[in-house]
Amino acid sequence: MKNSIRALRADQGWSQADLAERLDVSRQTINAIETGRYDPSLPLAFAISRLFGLPVEAIFSPDQETA
Amino acid sequence: MGFGPPYDVKHPLLHDEASMKASTHEKRTGKVYLRELFGALLAYALLLAASIHFGRPMDDGVLRTVVLLSPMIGFCFMLWAIARHLGRLDEYLRRNLLESFALAAALTAGLTFSYGFLETAGYPRLSMFAVWMVLCASTVLVTTVRALRQR
Repeated sequence: MKNSIRALRADQGWSQADLAERLDVSRQTINAIETGRYDPSLPLAFAISRLFGLPVEAIFSPDQETA
Repeated sequence: MGFGPPYDVKHPLLHDEASMKASTHEKRTGKVYLRELFGALLAYALLLAASIHFGRPMDDGVLRTVVLLSPMIGFCFMLWAIARHLGRLDEYLRRNLLESFALAAALTAGLTFSYGFLETAGYPRLSMFAVWMVLCASTVLVTTVRALRQR
């Protein structure tokens, strides 16, 4: 799963630690999601979507679109 | 202040992947975990001292067995503290820690099983306590290697 969290975070001027605070998760979790090592659960994905005010599908997309 | 970067600029392009600054989530969960774990360790140490002092001189029997086994109450408190810690962690840290526990358990199984064959080959017989020490060492090794690989 790809995501645009790093770019969205940069737009807001937030560090990984800032975003972690806002989502009440660890900084490692943000780092793992941004680097693609971890795909968040649906509740966390929706929390991210609410925070940035964007739909989930605008933030997350599959690596390869299925037919 | 913790272990944050040596600059005050919070620019997002200054990626803070290398920063060791802990989030509120980590500080909160870490603090409660340490408090519960050290409480359990204290209970274990007190029960261990009591079982050695009172249990060893006792005559053989059920009561002596129970007294000598009593430090396991403190050990169970430790397991309870670890289980509660797992429940408080965020989803990524929880998954990471559970994977590390699984790998450490597999490594321990491999090492102790191998040593069983070595005992047949003439190596000295070891106490079952050794399994616990191997598990602790394996957990430290696995978590350290995985943390270094993720940097």
